[in-house]
Amino acid sequence: MNIPPPGCCKVIASYTSFALFAFCVAFGTSVYAGGNITAGREKAIMCDACHGLDGHARMPEVPNLAGQGEGYILHQLHSFKSGERKNEQMAIIVQSLTPEAMQDLAAYFSAIEIKVVKVPGE
Amino acid sequence: MKLSKIGSAVIGALLTLGVQAAANADDAIETLGGMHKMAAVDWPTIPQTGPKADQVKKTLEKIKMPDGFHIGLYALVPDARHMAVGPQGVVTIVGTRKTKAYAVTDRSRSGVAEDVKEFAPSIPKVLPNGPCWSKDGFLYIVEQNRILTYPAAEFFYESPDVAVGVVVPEGKLIPTSEESYNHTARECRVGPDNKLYVQLGQPYNVPPKEKQALYKQLGIGGIIRMDQDGTHREVYATGMRNPVGMDFNPKDKTLWANDNQVDGMGDDIPAGEMNHITKMGQDFGFPWYGGGHTRTKEYMDQTPPADIVFPEVEQVAHAADLGLMFYTGNMFPAKYKNAIFSTQHGSWNRKDPIGARVMVTFLKDDGHVAGPSIPFAEGWNENGHYLGRPVDVAQSWDGSLLVSDDLVGAIYRIWYDGK
Repeated sequence: MNIPPPGCCKVIASYTSFALFAFCVAFGTSVYAGGNITAGREKAIMCDACHGLDGHARMPEVPNLAGQGEGYILHQLHSFKSGERKNEQMAIIVQSLTPEAMQDLAAYFSAIEIKVVKVPGE
Repeated sequence: MKLSKIGSAVIGALLTLGVQAAANADDAIETLGGMHKMAAVDWPTIPQTGPKADQVKKTLEKIKMPDGFHIGLYALVPDARHMAVGPQGVVTIVGTRKTKAYAVTDRSRSGVAEDVKEFAPSIPKVLPNGPCWSKDGFLYIVEQNRILTYPAAEFFYESPDVAVGVVVPEGKLIPTSEESYNHTARECRVGPDNKLYVQLGQPYNVPPKEKQALYKQLGIGGIIRMDQDGTHREVYATGMRNPVGMDFNPKDKTLWANDNQVDGMGDDIPAGEMNHITKMGQDFGFPWYGGGHTRTKEYMDQTPPADIVFPEVEQVAHAADLGLMFYTGNMFPAKYKNAIFSTQHGSWNRKDPIGARVMVTFLKDDGHVAGPSIPFAEGWNENGHYLGRPVDVAQSWDGSLLVSDDLVGAIYRIWYDGK
């Protein structure tokens, strides 16, 4: 799992609850424990057609999510929901996502382990 | 070779350009349009054997079809979208939603393509989704915002350097301000009138009202046609949302087209559409109708035109109907002659995913459908997890059916032997 950068903690916590915020302040970086990976995998069925259940995009205009930062995914989901970030498909998908589901999905995709096999020029 | 159809600017390049490597797309088109060679490019073939091919063949064992039909792996083609079988049956050109098109050849006519290479690798492309041929061997590829023609492509494709001309220059198919990744997988057909027909999706789920007039005027969310040199462009049909897949009925020359309908209104509405375009200027109801007879919330306050044409076939909601062709071959049983084969790519936003199959629609003698579209080949939707997603159908030289799949990156061949 990715270690969130300093300061990221507050941003995430503000979407959840004061309790989590307090937890965050007290324990630093471990705040993403809010997301349940197993529950996220079940919910990720709805992401499968585009992002792949393995987090590898199935369509050219869609990003890979495998191993993506948990905080980053969560922030993007909230941005789609608020309308700050616009995408015709994601605007529809996020309608059905609770804040908890977003955390679970972020935890799941972030937890997919990936390996770099080839880097051009190296 | 006929050069008359190629733009005069390109022919002019013949006189001025020498042999050189082109730095960008325009340079490449001019160089090749002048029939000069490009610098050598890396031009690998796509491997056709190995673990991936074995896995695909295993998946195909799960596909169910009527008795006597069989399905096999024809070729591995990355990101395979819409297909166009060459008039001589030699090469099948396959588009993608990325930056490449592919040339697929079954040299030994064995029913398996042994040779898959990028088509025209020295010409950079953007979303080259839609290839189509004229009967006299001109290949057209519709990209996101450009149409190129490749004269005698069935001959030239064996070389990385092909003959090429511009039908619609970059940025002139639609205003660049309307470019989007969404609903931009375009298809084309050369009609019985020898004009080039092109489907243009509009980029929104439901477009804002301020776009309405512009889109209607340009045929965005509709079908346009033009002469094969790009002149005399006109809007042929409007009132569509994201039309993909079309073909002319060889009997009465009318045009049939799929249209993909509004998302986010529920799992079971609105209906997907198979439309029957009997004359120029018909309006098929979008954005007032989100699909079938379901009104969109956004346009509830407007009164739709009285002469709207509703779909000939209402398809199951969100199944994503993408490919459409009339079957004219002799291999399949007689009842399939002049029937429509179409594809459902499969839903992305339905609670229980539906689609990922090939459908067949039978027509009566009067040119209307005999009933709803029914599944012809299915089994790629395994409890909501896609093992494959059929995009397009095309008829091969021998009357067998080619099916492209952009999830697997493959083309399948369906044949009939009655056994």
